[in-house]
Amino acid sequence: MKPDTLMVKFIMKLSAWLNATCKDTGPLVSETMDHSLSFSKRWRMKFHLAICEACRQYVSQLKTLRALAERLGKEDAPADPRTKLSPEAKETIQQALKNFQ
Amino acid sequence: MDTAKSLDSNLWVERYGDALYRYTLVRVKNPDSSQEIVQVTLLAALQSQKSFAGRSSEKSWLFGILKHKILDHFRSLKIRRTYELSTDDDTNPYENEFDEMGHFINPPKKWQIDPQHAAENEELVLALAKCLDGLSEKFRYIFVLKEVEGMKSEDICKEMAIQPTNLWVILHRARNQLKKCLEANDWHRKQ
Repeated sequence: MKPDTLMVKFIMKLSAWLNATCKDTGPLVSETMDHSLSFSKRWRMKFHLAICEACRQYVSQLKTLRALAERLGKEDAPADPRTKLSPEAKETIQQALKNFQ
Repeated sequence: MDTAKSLDSNLWVERYGDALYRYTLVRVKNPDSSQEIVQVTLLAALQSQKSFAGRSSEKSWLFGILKHKILDHFRSLKIRRTYELSTDDDTNPYENEFDEMGHFINPPKKWQIDPQHAAENEELVLALAKCLDGLSEKFRYIFVLKEVEGMKSEDICKEMAIQPTNLWVILHRARNQLKKCLEANDWHRKQ
């Protein structure tokens, strides 16, 4: 490949990175939590985040969401104490265990 | 260790029933299915009492079995329905949040909370649990596997037979819906 073709390709890439919008960036911010982005996508996201406060807020919100969900996954996660098996359900399960024995 | 002494199956329902049920309900949503999964778990535990090595507590051991049974439940649903994105999932509110230049019409609000300390806020964790109920079944299961269970993306794709690109789209939409639901609770202004 000729050097000038390479240069044109690079400038086009750079221009795409610099022109990324919030709409383009949101899915990338989410995706980056699920797998590693390609070099090109990663830099498009980074360039945009460097200049966009709104999208940085979005990053922070998704991180908060992840932290909350992780806590919800723990055995000792906070739960509404009113959420209980009904006495009938307990009786049914107890009976099933007895029948099995 | 003497298994008979370390496990007391007669007390399982009373001791752990509610905790197992709550744990299941967060993931499965449907109360009847959750109750059934608890029952299946305890029966499986009864069958495999001998495998209880006493290395973990009785409670952790039961939760370990429960986790497998919940995953079995997700798998069983896969037979009846697809987890791939379909035209039914096309209501994407994300698309409507931007002007023609691709900028946010209403930029994300600053949440008065540091993500690193968010998990300490129990009220918020409970709010998220409630918001999960607003997701469609498909979005909820995928989100739960990824963010609540912490499963790897490639494992979810394999388990649920979906393409990675679909997984990313589903997760992005689910996160946006949950984010909006949390904001609707107004907690970020109360901090």
